[in-house]
Amino acid sequence: MADEDYNDLDMGYEDEPLEPEIEEGAEEDLENNANEDAPEEIEGEEREEQEPVEHPRKTSKYMTKYERARILGTRALQISMNAPVMVELEGETDPLEIAMKELRERKIPFTIRRYLPDGSYEDWGVDELIVEDSWKRQVGGD
Amino acid sequence: MFFHIVLERNMQLHPRHFGRNLRDNIVAKLMKDVEGTCSGRHGFVVAITGIENIGKGLIRDGTGFVSFPVKYQCVVFRPFKGEILEAVVTMVNKMGFFAEAGPVQIFVSNHLIPDDMEFQSGDMPNYTTSDGSVKIQKDSEVRLKIIGTRVDATEIFCIGTIKDDFLGVINDPAAA
Repeated sequence: MADEDYNDLDMGYEDEPLEPEIEEGAEEDLENNANEDAPEEIEGEEREEQEPVEHPRKTSKYMTKYERARILGTRALQISMNAPVMVELEGETDPLEIAMKELRERKIPFTIRRYLPDGSYEDWGVDELIVEDSWKRQVGGD
Repeated sequence: MFFHIVLERNMQLHPRHFGRNLRDNIVAKLMKDVEGTCSGRHGFVVAITGIENIGKGLIRDGTGFVSFPVKYQCVVFRPFKGEILEAVVTMVNKMGFFAEAGPVQIFVSNHLIPDDMEFQSGDMPNYTTSDGSVKIQKDSEVRLKIIGTRVDATEIFCIGTIKDDFLGVINDPAAA
């Protein structure tokens, strides 16, 4: 169900102006900014080699629940394997909890590669996507 | 022959190495993994001289590891048929002798040693000319020509000859 509504949201969004920071080139910077304290270059789900610069990305700016699950899972796994944590901890010890906190603060150093049916793909930094929880409340970000 | 070439390798990196030293960690691991290895195609990797670039990582599903394509410059050593090398003798027996030129082992059969050199057994087995002026024993340095190579995926082995002009002992530790 969450999925259908989300498509609706998408429709309305189609002709909205795109967010300013979406070029490929910007990506690296974004990522690096997010990582001031530990300039990490781990990128996410998958990272592009060198995509020909093509600007307007057409997939949703909302993170799907599947992406969210995969990111949290992967990140929690890495944290559990001693990866440096990108946020200040306040006594959290559970890797998944830390991963969720990182996602709330948009500090997860991943890029999502969304493959489209024609085989092309779009890369979205985790810090660019709008994250909602299962009750449609926006989580973290601004 | 030595070559300075650019090679590429995918490095899998454990999450504990992430962070600000990520690149340094990749390079350190690369050196540990690659230097001293031998590939049939390129020969022995003698040393890494520089990193060309470290590509964008890709997260491996299920493990949390990230693999980075790394392009690096390195010096490789690959012996070729017909090449002249200087080598140090490591073992002498009645079949011939073994010599090493850096990482590569070279065997010189007694058929490929000049006919006037005879095998002398004893606690220091050697090949000596009849007049005793030239002696090949352990630790002698010889100049030899490679006449055959066997290239495996992870090993290179050569057959050499000293039965040609200007080949043979170039310095004799016993004489010195």
